[in-house]
Amino acid sequence: MAKIIVVTSGKGGVGKTTSAAAIATGLALRGNKTVVIDFDVGLRNLDLIMGCERRVVYDLVNVIQGEANLKQALIRDKRIDNLHILPASQTRDKDALTQEGVEKILIALREDFDYVICDSPAGIERGAQLAMYFADEAVVVTNPEVSSVRDSDRIIGLLSSKTRRAEIGESPVVEHLLITRYHPARVTGGDMLNLTDIQEILSIPLIGLIPESDAVLRASNQGVPVTHDQKSDAGQAYVDCVSRLLGEEVPLRFHEIEKRSLLARMFGGGRK
Amino acid sequence: MSLSTDRAPQAFIFKGGMLPMTVMELVSGDPEQIRAQLASKLSQSPAFFQHTPVVLSVEKLDEPHLALERICAVCRGHKLLPVAVRGGGDPVRQSAWALGLGWFPPQESRGRTLESVPPVAEPVAEAASAIEPEPEAEPVHASKVFRGTVRSGQQISASDGDLVIIGAVNAGAEILAAGSVHIYGALRGRALAGIHGDRNASIYCKELHAELLSVAGTYKRLDDIDNRLLGASVEVVLEHDQLCIARLN
Ligand SMILES: Nc1ncnc2c1ncn2[C@@H]1O[C@H](COP(=O)(O)OP(=O)(O)OP(=O)(O)O)[C@@H](O)[C@H]1O
Ligand SMILES: [Mg+2]
Repeated sequence: MAKIIVVTSGKGGVGKTTSAAAIATGLALRGNKTVVIDFDVGLRNLDLIMGCERRVVYDLVNVIQGEANLKQALIRDKRIDNLHILPASQTRDKDALTQEGVEKILIALREDFDYVICDSPAGIERGAQLAMYFADEAVVVTNPEVSSVRDSDRIIGLLSSKTRRAEIGESPVVEHLLITRYHPARVTGGDMLNLTDIQEILSIPLIGLIPESDAVLRASNQGVPVTHDQKSDAGQAYVDCVSRLLGEEVPLRFHEIEKRSLLARMFGGGRK
Repeated sequence: MSLSTDRAPQAFIFKGGMLPMTVMELVSGDPEQIRAQLASKLSQSPAFFQHTPVVLSVEKLDEPHLALERICAVCRGHKLLPVAVRGGGDPVRQSAWALGLGWFPPQESRGRTLESVPPVAEPVAEAASAIEPEPEAEPVHASKVFRGTVRSGQQISASDGDLVIIGAVNAGAEILAAGSVHIYGALRGRALAGIHGDRNASIYCKELHAELLSVAGTYKRLDDIDNRLLGASVEVVLEHDQLCIARLN
């Protein structure tokens, strides 16, 4: 029986899709049979980040509407055998998603996989609520800025009221805080909220901290999830995050201004 | 400045205030159905129907044209005084104005999970005290306790006693109580005490960053709060129509 994990945030553009792809990749690299689903109908993105946009035939909406079966719509990742992608439709509108349809798909996937990762659209409307509705766990993605924290707070409220677990009174959705685009220098300079402030306001356990990194942009342009780039800070940070999701204790990194050596400073060496 | 208005005696002063108000959320626009339900409510809790002002909310209704005049007549017939209408399209707004009622725009959809209006207290107390004369039989206004963080978009209310929050109240959240409000954590959202007019109600919090503080309708916004008090443990009370914020300890 798979664990269903939703990656959600409220605010748009904070790194949900990047994180869903990176986490799914990390889980699969650790030997878990994983599928990542794009719930962002109309603005599909995950296929690009996963580098499989040229192999999309059928999508989530096709399956819900009975125009294709799950097997036909699932795309196998070209790098990792036990990783699959279920893309969203770019042409249909959001109302094509129904709760019954989503439930059927998740029940079927649950049998075959260890992890089902749901990449939520931004906002708190229907699409976002459907993506979280059946979740067992949630990764709440937050940037170190006030509006993002406020929206995440709103989402955490919905997780405890608008999910299946909340409605039927089962044990609540397990919540994890993932801070992305963290920039220690700007935090120290006071331009951004610091780690402690964010944790204090949201008061859910931290599962990871991903620094602002050029590696993310590079990875998404190449269609290779950043987890594969193990030389990069962001890639390593996502691996740490996956280890913690798997229950391991890993010390936090990348949250302090890097102490660069004198040589590195003189020769302009920096983060990869 | 050049106008000599200050010499003329003032006829009135405008004051900001927040009054507790019952919202009557219409699920049906049929005056007869409303009449039937009012009639049965009236027999259950006659104390409530004392020319009580109500705001008619038509947000849940999908009818562009509403028999507003008849609905108001039915309400008045049952000693409810409609003072304004909330929600509905342009025709509804026009007919509200034509009837001399105010009109409020629909409430932003906040997906409230908790009741926004404290339910009417049913008058059980009288019956009980008639049988049991002991003082213990007096209804105890139990305080309501909430553990955890009250998050943006959430609302917690205690409609007949104190409200105790063991945790923080985040920005965008709102807590209300007929009595006092106690927050054992940071208050970053809105806190309203004495919502039915209790002027002795107060607000206590461990860390003040409130968006809004209100006691019995008198309020202060974050902007009105002395910066030096931000972050402090405070007590907020109503004194001579003014909210006073004092440090605890
Ligand atoms: N750690 C990071 N460092 C630098 N850039 C990042 C990082 N994480 C995400 N980004 C960039 O931020 C942008 C938004 O990322 P992404 O598409 O993952 O966000 P999203 O939350 O899925 O957006 P949407 O709400 O539109 O679905 C992208 O350009 C991505 O490359
Ligand atoms: Mg996205």
